Amino acid sequence: MRTSEHSRRASSALVLYVIILVAFQVFLITVAVEGFETGNRRLAWATAAVSVGLAGASATLLRYFRP
Amino acid sequence: MTDTEPTPVEAPTWKRDFPYEAAAEEDVTRREFARYLVAGAGAMAAGNVGLAIWTQLRTINTGEPTAIVALDTVAVGDTHLFRYPSADEPAILVRLTDHDIVAFSQKCTHLGCVVFYEADEHRWHCPCHEGNFEARTGAVISGPPTRPLGRINVEVRDDGMIWALGATK
Repeated sequence: MRTSEHSRRASSALVLYVIILVAFQVFLITVAVEGFETGNRRLAWATAAVSVGLAGASATLLRYFRP
Repeated sequence: MTDTEPTPVEAPTWKRDFPYEAAAEEDVTRREFARYLVAGAGAMAAGNVGLAIWTQLRTINTGEPTAIVALDTVAVGDTHLFRYPSADEPAILVRLTDHDIVAFSQKCTHLGCVVFYEADEHRWHCPCHEGNFEARTGAVISGPPTRPLGRINVEVRDDGMIWALGATK
């Protein structure tokens, strides 16, 4: 029972982490559009790299979910 | 005893407005919800990479030599608007002296608003966020921009036309 409660809380925390990462992705979209509008290639590629990293981190967090 | 037909139960109003079947009402587990979020994050990452590739490809195009306008139609201190290096990229030139002509992309390097020449101040001015650039070099004087205006190399040829030779991004 105690383990189940702990597992449920851990899953909730993981969902919260993923939500935060996705929210940051939305922000990165706006940065990428700014890089596109101003022709700033360095900004566009740096944004893409961080975005891919965050997506990878989100996918990694899925592994820690209990079925 | 009389046989009576069972009175059909009238569906509630919300059911008529939103006629979903009960079988379709499935619970979404936290794990599934997280999967949707991760899928969304992956889609946004792919979008960001796509934007970066698009930005890269767009800035590679620095333009072919193109005649812009006849020199004698632009008086000293006047500007001329044109499109370069492609039809959807606004550019502007100014004739500073008889033989001194400079041209720049008209897009402010802050957020892409168009800049205008202010002869009195001898500068390019972006009205969106009060960015200012030096007239001859396009270097930032003040305001939020951090990079100079994109320069377009120009020359006056024997045919009396001002030619754009390529853009510097």
